[in-house]
Amino acid sequence: MKKPLLALLAGATLLAGCDPSTPTPDSPTNAGVYVLSEGQFGAGDGAVSAFDRNTKSLVIDAFGAANSGSKLGDVIQDMGVVGTRGYICVNASNKVEVVSLPDFKSVATIKNIRQPRYFTFTSATRGYVTAWRGPYTNYAPGKVLVLDLTNNTVIDSITVGRCPEQLTVLNNKLYVPNSYDNTVSVIDAATNKVTSTVTVGDGPRNVVADQAGNLWALCTGFTVYNPAPPYDVISSTQGALVRFAPGATAGQLSLPFATGNPNDLRISPDKTLLYYSYNGAEYQLSTTAAALPPTPFIRRSFNGFAIDPRDNSIYGAVSTGYTSNGYFLHYPAGGGKVIDSVTVKVGPNGFAFN
Amino acid sequence: MLILNLFSTAHRVARWHVAHALPPLLLASGLGAHGQAMPQSGRADSLTSRRHRLPEAQVRAVRLEQFAVGSQRLELDSAVLAQYRGGTAADVLGARLGLYIKNYGPGQLATISLRGTSAQHTAVLWNGLNIALPTLGQNDLALLPISGNTQLLVQPGPAAALYGSGAVGGAIVLRTEPDWRPGLRGSVQADAGSFGLRGGSLEARTATPTLAVRMAASYREAQNNYPYLVREPAGLVRYTMQNAALRHQWSFSPDLTWRVGAAGELTAAVWLTDADREIQQGVSVAGSNAREIDQSRRLVLGYRRTTTGGGQWAVRGAWFEDIINYSDQGAISNSRVRTTQSQAEYTAPLGRRASLRLGAEAQHFAALVDGYGAAPITENRAAAFALLRYDPRPTLRLSANLRQAALPAGLAPLTPTVGLEWDLHRPALASDSLPPAEQPGLTFKASAARTYRAPTLNERYWQPGGNPDLRAESGGGYEAGLRYRLGQTAGVLLENEVTAFHQLVNNWVQWLPLGPGGAYSPRNLRQVRSQGLEASSVLRHRQGRYLASARVAYSFTQTVKTQGVAADTDPVGRQLAFVPLHRASFSTDHQWRGWLGSAAFTFTSYAYTDASASSFLPSVGLLGGTLGRTVPLPHRTSLTLLVQSTNLLNRRYESYPARPAPPRAYSVSLRLNYR
Repeated sequence: MKKPLLALLAGATLLAGCDPSTPTPDSPTNAGVYVLSEGQFGAGDGAVSAFDRNTKSLVIDAFGAANSGSKLGDVIQDMGVVGTRGYICVNASNKVEVVSLPDFKSVATIKNIRQPRYFTFTSATRGYVTAWRGPYTNYAPGKVLVLDLTNNTVIDSITVGRCPEQLTVLNNKLYVPNSYDNTVSVIDAATNKVTSTVTVGDGPRNVVADQAGNLWALCTGFTVYNPAPPYDVISSTQGALVRFAPGATAGQLSLPFATGNPNDLRISPDKTLLYYSYNGAEYQLSTTAAALPPTPFIRRSFNGFAIDPRDNSIYGAVSTGYTSNGYFLHYPAGGGKVIDSVTVKVGPNGFAFN
Repeated sequence: MLILNLFSTAHRVARWHVAHALPPLLLASGLGAHGQAMPQSGRADSLTSRRHRLPEAQVRAVRLEQFAVGSQRLELDSAVLAQYRGGTAADVLGARLGLYIKNYGPGQLATISLRGTSAQHTAVLWNGLNIALPTLGQNDLALLPISGNTQLLVQPGPAAALYGSGAVGGAIVLRTEPDWRPGLRGSVQADAGSFGLRGGSLEARTATPTLAVRMAASYREAQNNYPYLVREPAGLVRYTMQNAALRHQWSFSPDLTWRVGAAGELTAAVWLTDADREIQQGVSVAGSNAREIDQSRRLVLGYRRTTTGGGQWAVRGAWFEDIINYSDQGAISNSRVRTTQSQAEYTAPLGRRASLRLGAEAQHFAALVDGYGAAPITENRAAAFALLRYDPRPTLRLSANLRQAALPAGLAPLTPTVGLEWDLHRPALASDSLPPAEQPGLTFKASAARTYRAPTLNERYWQPGGNPDLRAESGGGYEAGLRYRLGQTAGVLLENEVTAFHQLVNNWVQWLPLGPGGAYSPRNLRQVRSQGLEASSVLRHRQGRYLASARVAYSFTQTVKTQGVAADTDPVGRQLAFVPLHRASFSTDHQWRGWLGSAAFTFTSYAYTDASASSFLPSVGLLGGTLGRTVPLPHRTSLTLLVQSTNLLNRRYESYPARPAPPRAYSVSLRLNYR
């Protein structure tokens, strides 16, 4: 009776050779579309997937493939593209990873950037990263870190409001939404100083600049829950889409949302159409509109949304929770039928193009 | 354990205890102790000897396992537990019983997955009371030091009728049994090891004919500043583990048993544990300095009395306080739950071949948890149960049990259990001194059970998202198998067991963003199916002063989600994350004169780390070993030196994603024994 069991044990040990195969993928060559996946928190398996929209080929973990299996890190938050360089904000790993494009080889790791959120740039040599300060519920005023892109170092740090998010650049000025406040900080990129603060609505998350030279901030509003049963909402401020002019200190137009929290403001490459997600759907409106659109543009809930500037085709990221792989959908310009549906890593939340 | 007037036990006891002539004697026969291991006695020579004689007539507890006919039981004997005295349940269950422990690092959160179920699906009982943290509905095995108890057994498979809420994948039973051997005995031990491991423990026990007292305490700390390698674009880079120290871990567990008259017994047991840990994050998470204080205070008072009719009353009252205080960079999450529990039961003989236990229990929770808001939360639960053991013939043993629990959101599912053991073959020369379940021969065993898990306090009250309407998870399953025992002739005992199981969990709770404002909220959504095969073989050999034992075990566990709803996007039909398909273990212990040598090897096949079954932890085989030497000293003392090593093969592996496990590590223990 014992021998068969020993044989069983030996057999089980042989199963060590039966791990799922993990073929070494080639580095991406001419991808053009980068899909960001946060990964499972703590597992260090965040990834940028490189998608070639012509050949439909996908490298799930472009960084790992190009850098002999190295992991990119924990919670991939944002990626900016400056020429042939990609700047990836790895939120929980407190770093910005710099890669060359399209091969995704590591160029530099800018470490000790605490809680990096979003990247933008004003020139081929100057980049900016928003960074939060303070722990959850006890946030302190955040920072905009100034990067010298020639040697990938932090050269300056500018204090803004709490939890600065997705910033934009217009006429050498940075517009930084402070998502735990109700303001947008305006920074003069020539001096790296905050020159003014625009009051918008509660919880601005993204700022974009339109064709007419106006700025739009998407404010998600704040929701406070009752700390005792039945845990109902005891206070809630409305979300709003707020337009303001570059020199203003307050919004000129505020389009309030009836309920819920709008998210993820985007603008079309020609800067005439705004997009946001709201109540499980994606909406579109003109930058000249005077009211929010009543019907969705795409009836899907996206965790990330982007428009490819080369062909105006649309990408939407679908996150299926933080334990299973998500996917993205690729639509033709102007929407319509899905062209591609491609599985990526856990928690896809954004796109970058080059 | 069976009531005395069950036929065969009665025989034996009549023979052994005739002088005491206790009419309503109840005997702890140790029937259940033989699933995988040998009876507990604290004496190594009991391994192959007959059950030792009880020194005094006693009002022994009728053990719960008596009613678990047909279920598998894994028990660690005291000789093995003694090797792990400085460690925790996490160290011993994985290495010695081949069970899968999901471990975030040395001293870090360690939870068990029995038969492919989750951490909340194993009930942990201490002296008959459920000690799962009411907030989380699970136990961190790294917070249960071995020194706190004298017995540790695991019963895989659904068994809510016996063990209550949470016994879905199985139950872990911890107990302190009184040691009635007269006189004082004790030991003191000091430990030191790699990566800043320091520890010590103390145990003392004494007994008079009416009073047995035991006191155990242990301390441990570890820096856990071990090296690990990370692949970076420039190559492999060596780092030192940060923020993973076990700053301290105390356990203090006094208990006493007092015989009150001829028929009564009063027990009091206390178990205090206190751990202060840095919480190791994934190595790619930067800047965390998370820290957690875990304190549990557990007190139980029990009284047992036999009646003239041969029955036995038992009542128990317990008070627990569980504290978890977590902080990370100023973010603080504190929780304190006070639990009061009471149990009452009556065990009656039904004729000569059956016994029936009827009982009820109630639990009251008072929770002050940051995540629930400023107001304290209280919750009450109650349950009633009936357990029947019936042995129509010496070769056929049956049990049928039933439990009905009442929960705040309504009645839990009714949970019956039935079990059978049938001796298909018994050698003619079978030993007559063993109870039927320990006789050599071939036995068929089978059981079927329904089970449940009550929603945890977090699931009901966490905000946002807590769901007060959450129903209990329910489940059911069955197992069947064969046990073959080769007699105790010529100092050799061989026991082989093979078990196939199948079980379902319905209303499996999953947190999904379905709460107000998209908050994650627990819902009864899934059905999960687990099925597999478990095989083990235990060999014990004794020749003169040489004592050897070996255990080899293998398990195949296939666990998949079988049904869900659209909002629950985890795919169906894929092996669940952190359930390795194959586990195998081999352990062996050798004692000769004062020498001790022991080795344990475990193999774990790859385990997925996401629900999509794409990322995985590779398979790994790990070896640990112990060498020891005991030298007798004058005045009834002796000195034991133990040298232990974990990860002897120095395998580089992660026990959890981005949590590199320690490389080969050593520890040395010096123990002074008195007796």
